[in-house]
Amino acid sequence: MKRRKFLKNVSLASVSAPILLNDIKLQGIAKKLFDVPKSAEDRVLVIIRLNGGNDGLNTVIPLDQYDQLVVQRPNIIIEETAILPLTAEVGFHPVMTGMKNMFNAGKLGIIQNVGYPEQNRSHFRSMDIWSTGMLNPNETRGWLGRHFDANYPNYPEDYPNATYPDPFAISMGFEVSSTCQGLMANFSHAVSDPFATVNLISSAQVNDGTYFGDHMAYLSTLIEQTNEYGDQINSAANAGNTLSTLYDSNNPIAVQLRYVAQMISGGLKSKVYILNINGFDTHDGQVNPTNHSTGVHADLLKTLSDAVHAFQDDLQLLNLEHRVAGMTFSEFGRQIASNASDGTDHGDAAPLFLFGACVSSGIMGQNPTVTNQIVNQAGIPMQVDFRDVYASVLKDWFQVDTTEIQTLFEHSVTYYPVLNSCNLGIKEEDELQSLLLYPNPATTSTTLRLPMDKEERVSIRIVDINGREVQSVYEGELASGVHAIHMDVANLKYGNYVVQVQRKTKNEKIQFIRVQ
Amino acid sequence: MIPNQPIEEPVSLSMSPYTGPCTKAQAAHLLRRTMFGATNQQILSAVSNGMAATVSSLLQLPSVSPPVTYDPADGISAVGTTWINSVYPVNATAAQTTETTRLLSLAAWSMQRLNNQQLSIVEKMTLFWINHFGATATFDSRATYNYHMLLRNNALGNFKQLVKDVTIDPCMLLFLNGATNNVFSPNENYARELLELFTIGKGPQIGPGDYSHYTEEDVAAGAKILTGYIVDGLRSDTMTSPVATFLSLLHDNTNKQLSYHFGNATVSSAGATEYSNYIDIIFQQPQVATYICTKLYRYFVNYDITPAVQATVIQEMASTLIANNYSILPVMQELLTSQHFYDVALRGSIIRGPIEILFGKLNATSSAPTFNLETNANMYLSTYFFGETMGQAYLAPPSVAGWSAYYQAPAFSQLWVNSTHIKTRFDLAAYLTIFTGIAFNNQNFKINALAFVNGLSVPSDPVIVINDICEVFCPKPINAIQKAVLKSILTGGLPDFEWTVDYNAYLADPTNINVSTPVRQKVEQVLFRVFVMPEFQTI
Repeated sequence: MKRRKFLKNVSLASVSAPILLNDIKLQGIAKKLFDVPKSAEDRVLVIIRLNGGNDGLNTVIPLDQYDQLVVQRPNIIIEETAILPLTAEVGFHPVMTGMKNMFNAGKLGIIQNVGYPEQNRSHFRSMDIWSTGMLNPNETRGWLGRHFDANYPNYPEDYPNATYPDPFAISMGFEVSSTCQGLMANFSHAVSDPFATVNLISSAQVNDGTYFGDHMAYLSTLIEQTNEYGDQINSAANAGNTLSTLYDSNNPIAVQLRYVAQMISGGLKSKVYILNINGFDTHDGQVNPTNHSTGVHADLLKTLSDAVHAFQDDLQLLNLEHRVAGMTFSEFGRQIASNASDGTDHGDAAPLFLFGACVSSGIMGQNPTVTNQIVNQAGIPMQVDFRDVYASVLKDWFQVDTTEIQTLFEHSVTYYPVLNSCNLGIKEEDELQSLLLYPNPATTSTTLRLPMDKEERVSIRIVDINGREVQSVYEGELASGVHAIHMDVANLKYGNYVVQVQRKTKNEKIQFIRVQ
Repeated sequence: MIPNQPIEEPVSLSMSPYTGPCTKAQAAHLLRRTMFGATNQQILSAVSNGMAATVSSLLQLPSVSPPVTYDPADGISAVGTTWINSVYPVNATAAQTTETTRLLSLAAWSMQRLNNQQLSIVEKMTLFWINHFGATATFDSRATYNYHMLLRNNALGNFKQLVKDVTIDPCMLLFLNGATNNVFSPNENYARELLELFTIGKGPQIGPGDYSHYTEEDVAAGAKILTGYIVDGLRSDTMTSPVATFLSLLHDNTNKQLSYHFGNATVSSAGATEYSNYIDIIFQQPQVATYICTKLYRYFVNYDITPAVQATVIQEMASTLIANNYSILPVMQELLTSQHFYDVALRGSIIRGPIEILFGKLNATSSAPTFNLETNANMYLSTYFFGETMGQAYLAPPSVAGWSAYYQAPAFSQLWVNSTHIKTRFDLAAYLTIFTGIAFNNQNFKINALAFVNGLSVPSDPVIVINDICEVFCPKPINAIQKAVLKSILTGGLPDFEWTVDYNAYLADPTNINVSTPVRQKVEQVLFRVFVMPEFQTI
């Protein structure tokens, strides 16, 4: 009588009754898991480039390092009381209320200390590295360009066509994105206003094999593509919709993201949208000297945070949340110590944001360690290689085969869970074999989905990041089947935790974050 | 862009003087690469004067008159007088108004300079340096003007001295934080770009913080060497010009140790002139000459530096530069008269940038606004904003590295054109030809189609008109079908003699709009068509 045994143990832990899920197969799991498309084909990635090198330490602020930061950067440090706490150890710049809301709703992920080995502090070289996803200086193709090249040969000559009528990537504004540079052409199509109709005079040109001939072929193809893609974009924009009232029309990124929502909802099949915010190279006047929570950097972060928040709101209203995910990147972080110009010089690693309803977890990685010692030119050391983030995005989001992904990068790729919380509907069988926690981040309670392939004794406990047990959840036998175990976490301090599930046959763990 | 098929590389790599024929094709190539939009007459003069004489003329730098106030909102300088040595009002709000007025005046003046018709390399060379040093306009236009004039006056001068002068130029001190770089908190911004972008260039990273030609330690040492300069007199109500001032209290007096890339040299404290000693040390490395000559080559000749070009042309240019103690003029003289420069494989290898598009149209057609001071200035401002919309704001390079089309592999100048910019280019073509042009105060400024056609070899002959147009605007002959399309636009699809009749009727009575309008409109339509052809997009 397994069930009785199981019920008897329930009262031992701070657990409400686990429910056997076999019969109702997953019905109780958060509904969002089933709203996703059955393949990654319809998924969209929005990339926002923070151009100039974002000061990570004033963006995602390590609260447990605050006293040392006061020593390192007294003239630019954010006033402690103004910081928006996310957890006990991590806070946001005060202007980032929108992104904080998203974090609390489980729609924003942070990866700490992202960079690349042997940081090169040139903007241009660094941006090349981030765009190509390669440290090799001879690489000229972008990381997305290589992926597109592998899947859509003979671009641009054979495109658009009946199967692929839309641009593969859209670069908002006036420039194409070097992340999408392919072998023969750039896969991104620059769009400043999707409502503007385009009809250019075209004239077929032959490439006679000279430099001039190469330009003629490039321009002719560009003109033809501009006309064809322009029509597609224009139709999508006109067919599309936008519902959020949070967009600020004075915020240029909000305006562009609204266009993106309009195009996606209108049915444009572009897979990637790229946006750019200039001005993060804050060597001087990064903050207002009389109020460090304001100033140039604050304005930039507000632009980002407000725009992304409005966009996410719109996606939810448009019921597109599970098709669209986003990420930010910047060529480097800035040095730990500030300079005398109320600014910061080029540094090393920095946090990176992922956003969307399908992000995997709250905060990945630990706070950087800051000392009281000012070391000339010191930056934040890299802990997560940016190429692994790209690889993980391709795997989680576009479901790219790992064999292909490995060929796109020069080092042996490590995968992290970045955008996999919606993947259950796609690879149901695989996912059924593993743990899942939802919602994550959690506020007062969360639910552990625990599949059991046979009856077994199980020990479930919550430990902190140092491995200390903070809460015992369940001890005892569980029957075969999928269980949903409710956990009350209201008494935990804000921060990162791990749920450990131990049984005779295997030990598993899953990370979660407790937020306000 | 990596081409579809192997590109035919230049046949001649020789830097010895070109001795082949000098026809309109070679002369037009020379003027396209050294000016923004030469006229048919200038091309014909170049043919008759010969290449050597033409290059000598091109390498003269004409003097220019300074910008003048056109808007009474300046408040200090009267309309029609120059503001470059004028103080600002005491009141900060008023000073902001004055500054806005001066900045617009400077922008308009820059466009007016580009619109000048003289046979000289000065405009193209000045833009080269604007791109090379990458500084944007600062918040005191007198400093911006002085910086601009430093580049313009030394456009063909000594590169080493130019780097020294730029290093302590107030506009640059503000742009890359040199003005706040001091012993108490060194700011590396300028020190880094000085090595990475302005002089020796960054090579592959060969070790931690080691970029082949310099190291992170050199950047840190450079920052200390450059400490102590501040900028005085910004928007001052008493000082007529902002100045760089050296304060020894702010200078780092320690000995600065450079890396093995600079022979482990030590730079000892030398106060206000220490920066100059440091730049002398940098310039002892021949890599400086290779670096700047590579940039000159990409700007004036071709993006594609093949191993053969690197080993011959670039090295030859670099040797000439070093042999002449970093004077730029002999390098340009040698390049512009070389066999390599005239190799037909290099024709049309550069896609026009926005400034090239704008003034390629206006200058080649002798079109300039001829209204009063205020109207002209506003029309030039519109031109400035056209350039900005197409991706090239003349006073504000997008980054300290300049415009990406001049340096970003593999696409280089193809980056000027994408789906958005191509549309803007086409819109501008229509605007300046078949539409009303730039309007201000009930005046219109557009391409002067009649003056243009009158300056062609035989304006009454439609075949020669089309041939001349193609030679002026396209780097290579266009195909027969395109030519037939252009001629049928000019003749309205009628036999050739109908154009001759119309043109002669206009010549006989040039002020009669009944006969001039049809001629003007046909030329405008042809020019519109030419300006949207892919061939026109290249030089």
